[in-house]
Amino acid sequence: MNIFDKIKTIYPQLTDADFVPTSGTIFIQNDSDGKGDYIKEWNHPTLAKPTPEQLAAITA
Amino acid sequence: MSTIINGSSPSVTFSDGTTQTTAFTSTPSVTALVNGGNTITVPAVAGTMMVSGNMPAFSVYLSTSQSMTSATNTKVQFNTKLYDTANCFDNTTNYRFTPNVAGYYQFNLKVQTGGTPGDFFCAVQKNGGTEVYRGIRGNTGLSCVTVSTIVYLNGSTDYVEGYVYQTATSINGNTISSGDQSWFNGALIRAA
Repeated sequence: MNIFDKIKTIYPQLTDADFVPTSGTIFIQNDSDGKGDYIKEWNHPTLAKPTPEQLAAITA
Repeated sequence: MSTIINGSSPSVTFSDGTTQTTAFTSTPSVTALVNGGNTITVPAVAGTMMVSGNMPAFSVYLSTSQSMTSATNTKVQFNTKLYDTANCFDNTTNYRFTPNVAGYYQFNLKVQTGGTPGDFFCAVQKNGGTEVYRGIRGNTGLSCVTVSTIVYLNGSTDYVEGYVYQTATSINGNTISSGDQSWFNGALIRAA
């Protein structure tokens, strides 16, 4: 499962709009360096940024 | 007429074959008469007079399609060069343009996907995102997006990369198309 789906699993109230670069508050990036997707920016006003442990606990 | 500005022996060679050697940094300016009575003036201000041989330009594209995750800003791995005049585009590791001449560069980026995404952006990002120049699709039915911009780069450490963001539910929508459908090019248009 990718990090986008993991975040939405942790916070089901999030929608795609929360991730849109120009208007959202959460920004996921992949630098194509083999390290995979990561949270580049987390500016959501009420929800806390998931910890690596929370993300790792989510499996497909 | 030929001109050597930054060589070990700065000089101007005129159409009649005569050459004038001039210390360009200490004279107000050099004005040369060329064919037709026109003149060309080399100002004495600090800086480098640009000629076509030292103005970096590149054009790259994807040779094979690239998969990406929905809702994730993803660097496009432009791995094939049409040209790269100063060998400043890394098309094997970081997929970025790091020019060796300071100045203002024009960039053009186009990205196409195999299907029609929901939200769809592409971006020229400087230095990992300190400056982002983003383009948005003009029509929701389109599967391609473009952006053009002018960016200042310092000629040593500054770099730019091409990114794409889309939301799609289909496999095709999560695939960046290759060949002439996704490309990135740029060139120096004004020295610093």
